[in-house]
Amino acid sequence: MNDAQEKLMRELMAMEFMAIDLNLYLNTHPYDGRALMIFISTAQRCRMIRDNYERMYGPITASASNSYPWPWIDSPWPWEG
Amino acid sequence: MWVYEKKLEYPVKIKTCNPEMAKYVITQYGGPDGELGASLRYLSQRFSMPTEVANGIFTI
Repeated sequence: MNDAQEKLMRELMAMEFMAIDLNLYLNTHPYDGRALMIFISTAQRCRMIRDNYERMYGPITASASNSYPWPWIDSPWPWEG
Repeated sequence: MWVYEKKLEYPVKIKTCNPEMAKYVITQYGGPDGELGASLRYLSQRFSMPTEVANGIFTI
């Protein structure tokens, strides 16, 4: 994994971690409109970064595999750092 | 129900090989009082939760 790929992956991890935390918070505070707005924009940013990453470096989920040969089995896996 | 993602929720960088620490971490993860067991208990507990809020927490 080169520096540019790692940088984009870290950005995605940070954004999605934020989305997960907001998700947890909203489960117990479903009427917090401000948090909901932040969640919506965060989720949108996650999708943008994820699409970018997948276009450049390959699928993050198997269902995003759309090239030949089947790219899902290509490295790196998360534990290969 | 679950979809594998080729990414981590939080970055991990193991710099030095430490078998003692590895043993400790794997026990916290998969041992008798570990996170894996707890997560499976949450998945069963959600079926008898009386509120939507608790359902949401157990089903993340």
